[in-house]
Amino acid sequence: MARARRSRGESLIVRYLILGAWAAVCLAPTLWFLSIGLRPRVEIITPQPIYWPTWSLDAWRQLWEQWPMAKYLRNSMLAIVGSVAIDLVLAIPAAFSLSRYTYRGRDDIGFYILSTRMMAPAIVAIPIFFLFKNLQLLDTVWALMIVFAAINLSVVTWIIRSYMLDIPKELEDAARTDGASDLRILWEIIIPAILPGIITASVIAMIFAINEFLFTLLIASTPDAYTLSVALANFTAGTDGVIYNSIALVAFIAFIPIFLVVIAIQKHLSRGLTMGAVKG
Amino acid sequence: MARIELSRIQKRWGAFWGVRDVNVEIADEEFVVLLGPSGCGKTTTMRMIAGLEEPSEGEIRMNGELMNDIDARDRDVAMVFQGYALYPNMTVYENIRFPLRMRGVPAADQNAQVLNAAALVELTDYLDRKPSALSGGQRQRAALARAIVRKPQAFLMDEPLSNLDAKLRQAMRVQIKHIQRELKITTVYVTHDQIEAMTLADRIVIMEGGAIQQIGTPDEIYNDPSNTFVAGFIGSPAMNLVKGALERGVFDAQGIRVEYIDSTHSGQVILGFRPEDCSIGGSAPQVTGEVFGVEPTGDVTYLSLRTGDVLIEVKADRDYRAELGAAESVRIDSKRLFLFDATSGERLRG
Repeated sequence: MARARRSRGESLIVRYLILGAWAAVCLAPTLWFLSIGLRPRVEIITPQPIYWPTWSLDAWRQLWEQWPMAKYLRNSMLAIVGSVAIDLVLAIPAAFSLSRYTYRGRDDIGFYILSTRMMAPAIVAIPIFFLFKNLQLLDTVWALMIVFAAINLSVVTWIIRSYMLDIPKELEDAARTDGASDLRILWEIIIPAILPGIITASVIAMIFAINEFLFTLLIASTPDAYTLSVALANFTAGTDGVIYNSIALVAFIAFIPIFLVVIAIQKHLSRGLTMGAVKG
Repeated sequence: MARIELSRIQKRWGAFWGVRDVNVEIADEEFVVLLGPSGCGKTTTMRMIAGLEEPSEGEIRMNGELMNDIDARDRDVAMVFQGYALYPNMTVYENIRFPLRMRGVPAADQNAQVLNAAALVELTDYLDRKPSALSGGQRQRAALARAIVRKPQAFLMDEPLSNLDAKLRQAMRVQIKHIQRELKITTVYVTHDQIEAMTLADRIVIMEGGAIQQIGTPDEIYNDPSNTFVAGFIGSPAMNLVKGALERGVFDAQGIRVEYIDSTHSGQVILGFRPEDCSIGGSAPQVTGEVFGVEPTGDVTYLSLRTGDVLIEVKADRDYRAELGAAESVRIDSKRLFLFDATSGERLRG
């Protein structure tokens, strides 16, 4: 018995050690980035190791004074939030149809939607460029919104669909005999029941969108449409050479909003991810 | 409220027959129970009445009006589901109010109707709770309240008590019957539990293999079964069914001899008699065998008697006891004998 008790205590310590180590591994790059961003430029390009760094907000100041950071931030947020909104408006009815109705070719359509994600983005880069050129949407946030939405639509549809499949058919039958139309059933019964799934899908789409680079580079040509991820490229190509501490700070700034969103909805997210994983 | 007619209803999925040639007329205010083992087509039949399933053939009418092409939401029936199907995001109050909102009942009237329905199922104190914070019995009552809140043309109940424990089930049974009598609403109730069927129904429709085996009042079904399936399905323990030869009113099988049977039939037959129509001992025993099992339950003792290769079930007095393997004999009430065809299982009359 004593042995059993001791080993339980030991296993708890081991568990914390492993989890702590894993947390450190995950957090290290972020903290390292932050530390680069908060040190003078000279210090970070010195080849010798520095054990006691000097802290400075130079990079931070420079970033806001010399670059239109507010614009980049605004563009990123608008494009991301807008694209997720477009995705939800399109994906929820699509997922409802794919999960709730029976019709010829339903599974094929479902697979076709998913297969768009399997394609290498570079294949469609040029057609997309000309498409937006003809629509006169090049270098606008609207174009980014549409492209981000298109990229993520398949994943969002499939995540939401897997949640809808988990909703018992009885609920829908009950609502139907209670007098509800399909739209009412979707709006009043299904959507509230799969809210964790909608949140999960939205967060995943946001993460994909904030990291999107190729299409943004293609569409955005001035700070009017630059997002944070493309702005990063600015700091490598200017006359000043590669400005590492600015890059680190921008990367950190891009990381913060998603980090905060994930913390705020952590409960839904973990429930959502496991639900989808077990039953999807 | 509603007269429901099902004529020549069939339901097929490819080569599989869910329901075959079902013909039933349900009178206004009648309580009809569809009874049968799982997979017998009873739930499918009910779902077709609700409009949740389309019949492959046949007609469904309500008050004479053809319902086949009318959508579930326009049929004005209320359904109670086996898993309750309460909307998890809504409180009990909102759940009960949902059908009123969907049918455009004026907002001013909704509150009173919800409170009435909740009071009828004694749920007034739980209106603010979400379904997840209710016990099984309370969820059941909330589902019932949602069904009765608008006076529908008919109630359709799909095994509504099967998830409850025995005691609660008995209490809910009484409540459902009481509410149905009070509201006078035609009710179709699906169950595989014969006690529920016997206690609730005005008429029972017994189904097996997608087809109706017998329609009748509980008394008719119990006292006058039309085939061996019905005879064996109703009654607990089930009716004893013994294969043997019938010649000039004398039935003979291993360990069983019954004389003076009032029947013109002869040849191989199945003799049926209920455990409760047997008495132990007596001067001229008809069944002799050895005691295979004795099960005292408190108010009654069940005796299993082995005769040849069949087990005969007998309901004995509560203080009856016997040693396993001991010889025992039984008499059967001669007025309570049933004869069935040995091949088709159909009842032999006359």
